[in-house]
Order: sequence, then C-alpha cells, then structure tokens
Amino acid sequence: MKWTSVIVEDLQVAADYLAKCCEKSGLLEVKGHFTNVQEALDYLNKNSVDVLFLDVEMPGATGFDLLDQLAYYPKIILTTSKEEYAYNAFEYNVTDFLKKPFTYQRFQEALNKLTSAAGDSNISSTASDHIFIKCEGKLVRLNNDDILFIESMGDYVKFVTPEKKYITHNTIKNLEEKVNRQCFIKVHRSYIININKIDDIRENDLYIKGNEIPVSKAHKSDVLKRLNII
Amino acid sequence: MLQPNSSKKFIFNEQIDSAYLHSLYDDDFQYIEEIFGTTLSHFDPDFEALQQAYRQGDVLSLKKAVHKIKPTFGFVGLTRVQQLCREFEDICQKAAGTDDISQQYQQIVTTLAASRELIAAEYTKLKDYNSNHL
Repeated sequence: MKWTSVIVEDLQVAADYLAKCCEKSGLLEVKGHFTNVQEALDYLNKNSVDVLFLDVEMPGATGFDLLDQLAYYPKIILTTSKEEYAYNAFEYNVTDFLKKPFTYQRFQEALNKLTSAAGDSNISSTASDHIFIKCEGKLVRLNNDDILFIESMGDYVKFVTPEKKYITHNTIKNLEEKVNRQCFIKVHRSYIININKIDDIRENDLYIKGNEIPVSKAHKSDVLKRLNII
Repeated sequence: MLQPNSSKKFIFNEQIDSAYLHSLYDDDFQYIEEIFGTTLSHFDPDFEALQQAYRQGDVLSLKKAVHKIKPTFGFVGLTRVQQLCREFEDICQKAAGTDDISQQYQQIVTTLAASRELIAAEYTKLKDYNSNHL
C-alpha cells in the first residue's frame, strides 16, 4: 500500500520535480499540490494524509504556521532552500529536511527515514476507514463511521457504537495516535469522539446520541475549529 | 573561461553545470526539457514580483521574491546564479531599505534577465535535440 502525501510548495518546478520523485519511488501517492498555506489547510483538515512535503517560505503564512494550525500531524519532510530552518525543523519533529534542489538519491534517504519512523507509529493506520480491536478473544472490525466515541476506563477503553459497546485493553493516549484524525478528535483526556456524530454542543459538553461528553478547556478551541460553523 | 560542458550526448552551455544536472536527472533529456519548460513558463511572474517589490521600496518582499526564485536556477544547473541569489538575499536581510542596495539590485536583475535568455535558448536546443534523437 502506498503512503498518501501532499506537496505544499509555491515554486512549480520544485513541486513537479518532487512529484516525479514520489512517482519514481513507487511508495508515495501524491493527492494534491498546493501553493499556499490556506489552501493546504483547507484540504488537510478534511483529508488525512500520511506524509506532508512542506516548503517553509511561501506567500502569506509559512510552513511552520501551517503546522501550528493543523489538527493532526502526518510525517513531515521540509523542502526549502535555506538551511537556517534546521533548528525549527527539529522543534517541529520533522522526519527530514531536503534542501532544494536535491538529488533522487537524497530523496531516497528521506524515504528511508520515513520508513523507520513509520515502523514506530504505523503511519498508514491514520488514513484508514476502519480499525480492528481485540475484544472477547477475537479481532473485531469497526468502521470509523459506526463509532460514536471512545471512552477511557483506566487501562481499558470502551468503543461505543449505536448498537453495541466494545471494551478492549488500550489507552486514549495510544489510540489518539492510531485513529483516523479526519474522523476522530480528542476532546478530553478520557474521550475521543467521532467529529461527524456530534448532535450539539453546550458550554463545556457535547452530545452524541443522548450521551453527554465533557470537552476540556484545553481541547475546546481545537474542536470548534473542526466544526463547520457558519 | 570554462569549456562547454557535455552530459554524454547533449552539449550544454558553458555556464550550466552539466555534472550537477546529471546528478539530478541522469541523462533523461526529455525530463530536462520539461524542467526547462516549466521553469520558463513560471519565470516571468516571479521575476516581475521581484522587480515590483524593488520599485515599491519593499525590501522584505524583495527578499521573499529572491528567496522564491533562487532554487529555480539550481534546477536548471545555473548553480552560480543560485549562489548570487543567496548572497543578494542576505544583503536584503541586512538592508534597512531598497536605497541601500540599488547597486547590488541592478547587478542581480541584469544577471536574472541574462539567465532567462540562457534558459530559453537551452530549452530550444533541448527540444531540437529530443525531437531528433527520440
């Protein structure tokens, strides 16, 4: 399975070359190319990708501004022509830093780092439309669309669907990294909810099919950013 | 004076670092033609943005414009021009206004304009070469 990726780059020749490198590798599918931060954010907050190729200096906001506003963190490879950004790159925990123009060999080295990083966090799971959980001695498939929310129960978590509740040994902290961030968002240290299932929000609680779920102060602004408020 | 460089078959202009181009694209001349074509088709708006920033006395926009156009020259093997852009970007970074850098600006604009002509000429040569050899 290929990793999904997006290129955020205002220089066309650099974007074309990068897309060509991705194609040549056979490991990456480029889902889109954006020349500014706002267009990229609009796409990325609606579509989860595995890898983000990100220029730093672009018209208007910078690549780092994008990372500050992104609701989730894909693996990031910075593409820039300025080495001075290396320190910021380290702070944002980017996987690699490609100085333009780069050779295909250097690009492959970045892919190797991606592969190593993926081994630690199973990056492709974040873009999936389902998960499997261990429950009652078997692996049960749950479609993202069927999950209303996930609640912490100490060393266990409860997956709540309209028909059934599934209890499995896991933690919210671990699941936060594993679930598809396009659908799910952490709203409280004990709750991850399906963003598409919210019925209403009042003060510091939200409601999903009659279930009252607390929203912590720390997460409230992130939740509101993800809603289609008009 | 450098001797004209060749990348096995195609003879590049002497100002183009053909070894560097080879490290990026091997001998895929069709793709090199594509790169030169893409560079040309986006060159004028980026160059105009740079000149407009200077005319408006906006040194920050001038720095951003030269930063944007800088890697373009690397992609077409004009590594010396890329280096000159880097130096001009540093000059902009330190300048209080465009009045302080008028001489360096004139030099870089002249260099960029000449580079555009060079890229255009090489693009034509590459098209001819590819149409005769493919």
